[in-house]
Amino acid sequence: MKYTTFNQQSVNTLAEPMFFGMPVNVARYDQQRHSIFEKLIEKQISFFWRPEEVDVTRDRVDFQKLTDPEKHIFISNLKYQTLLDSVQGRSPNIAFLPIISLPELETWVETWSFFETIHSRSYTHILRNLFSDPSDIFDDIVANEEIKRRASDISRYYDDLIFATQLWQTQGEGTHTVNGETHVISQRELKKKLYLCMNSVNALEAIRFYVSFACTFAFAERKLMEGNSKIIRLIARDENLHLTSTQHILNLWAKGKDDPEMAEIAEECKEEAREIFMCAVEQEKEWADYLFKDGSMIGLNKQILCEYVEYIANQRMSAIGLDTPFDVKSNPLPWMNNYLNSDNVQVAPQEAEISSYLVGQIDSSVSEDDFADFEL
Amino acid sequence: MSVPDETFHIDIVDVGSVTASTDKTLLESIERQNIDVHYHCREGFCGACRTKLLCGSVTYTTDPLAFIDDDEILPCCCIPRSPLKIDIPR
Repeated sequence: MKYTTFNQQSVNTLAEPMFFGMPVNVARYDQQRHSIFEKLIEKQISFFWRPEEVDVTRDRVDFQKLTDPEKHIFISNLKYQTLLDSVQGRSPNIAFLPIISLPELETWVETWSFFETIHSRSYTHILRNLFSDPSDIFDDIVANEEIKRRASDISRYYDDLIFATQLWQTQGEGTHTVNGETHVISQRELKKKLYLCMNSVNALEAIRFYVSFACTFAFAERKLMEGNSKIIRLIARDENLHLTSTQHILNLWAKGKDDPEMAEIAEECKEEAREIFMCAVEQEKEWADYLFKDGSMIGLNKQILCEYVEYIANQRMSAIGLDTPFDVKSNPLPWMNNYLNSDNVQVAPQEAEISSYLVGQIDSSVSEDDFADFEL
Repeated sequence: MSVPDETFHIDIVDVGSVTASTDKTLLESIERQNIDVHYHCREGFCGACRTKLLCGSVTYTTDPLAFIDDDEILPCCCIPRSPLKIDIPR
């Protein structure tokens, strides 16, 4: 079906599925098939923040004090997160918008992607502060084998869906030969690709960020790189919301509350979806291995980090109706919760309007004398 | 007119029983008795504290955004309205 930016036919969006119905025409939210997406939009917008509001100047001093293995851990994580948000800042828009049929979902995807671009800008903000020329770090993202391997796994499902959608929208259903390669395009096949892609995105939001988050917060526990940790805390809060949205989409499908064909596909592809999740867990563990190859850091090692990945994987797999394959009973990194708790994320919307006001201010010049006249 | 605080008996499967007051969220009440519950956001949008409600009813302090099944609750943003029987995943 050819895509149109303004579908002239009148459409009852209450009867449309989330994907592969009629293209959206009026961006209206007075009547909604799945009102959860508007609630997510409102929540996400209430989280708005700007990287420049967080003062990262002290981190430069802290960074110089880190050991070489610790520097490797810190910088590698930033590279990996830069990759993840580069993908997420564009792919939901390109892959999902052309096939979405509900205005509230369309706006949610746009809002979601926009926040990923804030994250991307924040990595530059952090790196500019640490290095006078951070270009080597960015250049390495497309040269580093460890990162490239993950990049191809993350982008594969998106690319597959995008290519098939393009063929479907220009050529229609049928068998098409492009550059000597034969592609069979049917709506059912497209829906399968969409289902797998959504699972891959869900695993990304659920698992892939958490090894880097744990390292960042482990530095913060030692009062190091605190500006960076303030930023990552804001990012973690956003990613949690994005995860909620992909969980909703997957569950709406699986429970037959949207497109009945997607419920069939969810059943049919359950094993493949589980495989995607398990593969992300495995890659995260390998990432922990790569991070700690030259030595670990205080408070964290490879084993405990892998246990944490398994612990959150159990939770996130059960949220989408999968089994809980790992035997981790209690939280191996209980202090992580202090950083993932949104009560501890400072928000002052009225103050965020003033560009000179620093929401994530860290008092960098307090001496012991300041407490001299303090008595308990 | 404010509703006076009440306390309810909460039966947690395989853990034991606790009392919960209506002036706190269910999560806070359970934590006060030193029982571990998974949580992240404490605001109803992440779903980390998702718990099975086997018996009883709750009201929400904020609209829960995280996905929960019909028989599940989010302790971080709900208050008991009756005695409860719950099953905390572990």
